[in-house]
Amino acid sequence: MSEPVHALSEPFELQPIHPPPKSFLRRWVFSTDHKVIARQFLWAGLLFLLLGGLLAMLIRWQWAYPGEKVPAVLGGFLFRESGGVIGPANYQTLFTSHGLIMIFFAITPILIGAFGNFLIPLQIGARDMAFPKLNMLSFWTFALSQVLVLLSFQARLGPAGAGWTTYPPLSTSVGTPGAGQSLMVAAIFVTGVATIMGSINYVTTVIRLRAPGMTYMRLPLAVWGLWLTAILNVLFVPVLGSAALLLFLDRNFGTQFFIAGAAAVRGGGDPILFQHLFWIFGHPEVYILILPAWGVVGDLVSFFARKPAFWYRGTVWSMVTVTVMSAIVYGHHMYMTGMNPLLGKGFMALTLLISVPAMVLFIDWLLTLWQGSIRTTVPMLFTLGVIFVFGLGGLTGLFLGDISLDLYLHDTMFVVGHFHLTMAAASFLASFAAIYFWFPKMFGKQLDQRLGKAHFWISVVGITLVFGGQLVAGYAGQQRRLYDPFQYQFLAHLRGLNRWTSYFAFTLAAGQLLFVWNWFATLFGKGRPAGENPWQVGTLEWTNAATPPAHHNYDVIPTVLHGPHEFADPAVRAALGRDWLGQAERAPGPREASR
Amino acid sequence: MTAATRATPGVATIARLPTSRHAFTAYLGMVVFLSSWTMMFAGFFFAYALVRSHAPVWPPADQPALPLLAPGINTLVALAGSAALVLALRDMRRGERARPARWLGVAALLGATFLALQAAVWVSLWDAGLRPDGGPYASVFYGLTGIHALHVLVGVVALGALALMLRPGPGRTGELRVRLWGMYWHFVAAVWVGLYLAVYLA
Repeated sequence: MSEPVHALSEPFELQPIHPPPKSFLRRWVFSTDHKVIARQFLWAGLLFLLLGGLLAMLIRWQWAYPGEKVPAVLGGFLFRESGGVIGPANYQTLFTSHGLIMIFFAITPILIGAFGNFLIPLQIGARDMAFPKLNMLSFWTFALSQVLVLLSFQARLGPAGAGWTTYPPLSTSVGTPGAGQSLMVAAIFVTGVATIMGSINYVTTVIRLRAPGMTYMRLPLAVWGLWLTAILNVLFVPVLGSAALLLFLDRNFGTQFFIAGAAAVRGGGDPILFQHLFWIFGHPEVYILILPAWGVVGDLVSFFARKPAFWYRGTVWSMVTVTVMSAIVYGHHMYMTGMNPLLGKGFMALTLLISVPAMVLFIDWLLTLWQGSIRTTVPMLFTLGVIFVFGLGGLTGLFLGDISLDLYLHDTMFVVGHFHLTMAAASFLASFAAIYFWFPKMFGKQLDQRLGKAHFWISVVGITLVFGGQLVAGYAGQQRRLYDPFQYQFLAHLRGLNRWTSYFAFTLAAGQLLFVWNWFATLFGKGRPAGENPWQVGTLEWTNAATPPAHHNYDVIPTVLHGPHEFADPAVRAALGRDWLGQAERAPGPREASR
Repeated sequence: MTAATRATPGVATIARLPTSRHAFTAYLGMVVFLSSWTMMFAGFFFAYALVRSHAPVWPPADQPALPLLAPGINTLVALAGSAALVLALRDMRRGERARPARWLGVAALLGATFLALQAAVWVSLWDAGLRPDGGPYASVFYGLTGIHALHVLVGVVALGALALMLRPGPGRTGELRVRLWGMYWHFVAAVWVGLYLAVYLA
């Protein structure tokens, strides 16, 4: 007899039901429950998102009013020595910390740490991760890395200041002396270890713990995105780890992997080596940040267009193709570092090719929306926002992928605008789509929808104007990271543009306070009860688990019969009076078993 | 199960006994972890290759050449440790009582020997004037062997602890631990073989 479909996954007897731990410490602090760990990651990520956002505002202040006192108590508190003015060295540390905090300590924990943890076991019908203790260790290792980041702000000679890319020679002890940079490099390594621990869990859990009948082609797209992200994390974060470790050795043990020139006694190493290692990781990293977002978008457009996702398989295979290709395009970050032109052309061809699967995804989303009965809930609005800003960002990527244009645009604000639209703004908006969508499942209450809509409009309009402004400034020739761009005559006329961009940025930041208010008021105030299935969708966490889910998620591990997007089936409507069908729900009437 | 394996019970017991589904999940997790760590060491080897490709002379004329004998012996020691772990696992699966712990102890001792020999190599080169800040040649040597030695140290501690904790008698957990730490050690030994070939011999 042939084996059933789920032969590879563990039968449910092997996932016994454990009673929830009694002690406060085991239940809420050192918890092995993936749902608690998800919430821990969410809190940690949101707090650092605020911190990173504050740093961004200081950068924007500098670009609007270079050399002027930072207003309110902030200036006097943060820049005491310079009388409230952001000095050049302070400025360096601002954009460095902003980038690193946002990428590694805010977006990663929210999208991957929180939603990876929350969604993977629930959506595949498992009781927990494959390795719950490792999962707990992953969070606490991550928390340690956040502590290291905070410590770096206390270091003598200031925090890290070598840019988020941490390129030597600037990042060596010659360019940036002091413990701040070393602490940040250590934090990157430690957070990398935490990420790898989490990813081992995600990869293994999806392979082994899918519920009976949950085939790969029935996984929600969010799980696909998170799983592919985990695979990229497993393979490429360690490469960053190797770079960070060697840099740490260079800074603290006198080795010379990256130190060259006058600083090196004997020939020295090669600063370009760091760029290779960094971007071998760094390019997959941008897909690491966007794949979960794509997955969430893929599910949510279907959920709120009340239609099956258009060409589910095409979406899945496009995501897989992007995942594979992300490993072989990194050279496009290094067109300007003396790369062999032939090699550069190869990277250019691959870079432009990777937009083909991305385009397939995009078209799939649009065709899912096409003729759907669209419900403009808050999560849906954020989803549409992701599609919009990612479209903008993707198109500007074509400019930068092209060598001849990159020669001009390299290291300008155009690059900054581009990568913010793609990996920052898109994953930021997707984080909020996910938060608004799964908040009811996590906490049992519904966030206020009106505040949510206001938050959405300020966010998406603000993002477009801020990063659009950066694109324009970059196209006009403004280099990134300039302390005072307007001291150069050819950029002096961009002062107005920059000032307006800053005003938009301040508005964007102020709009986030709506969310902060909404979050706290709902969580600790009354909050509307969520109900069992507020969005009327069919994935397992909404149909087969309580809200919020029990400690063991499922009393009975569900047997999955359909894909995640069973909408608008006339037979279902006739029999059940609704337009959706649960993944584990038997379809009414005669119907083939697998759809 | 196919008819062929059913017909030959010897094959079937060896193939089926050790892998419960839980064990396979743990095994898979270990494979994922080790592929991750392989990528990290790939980064180190990449760094070495790039730095060396720029160097006009390797080793630099005024710096000592790396010894071949002691690290060569160490290669054998690391591989012998691997063999001991294979034997430990085999004896465990056969249901032997005392021997698995003994083999684990042997592997831990071999690991300690490895560290001692490696320390001797470091000391001799340090005395010959090679310091970590002595340029890329020294960086590669101290950096790569140092990071590797840390992994060996983890292995020695874990295998030693396993050898002491392992109680005779049946039980799957112990076997799984031996299997997973065995995989770890094989990985560390394999990296060393790569290091020996690339850093010492090449």
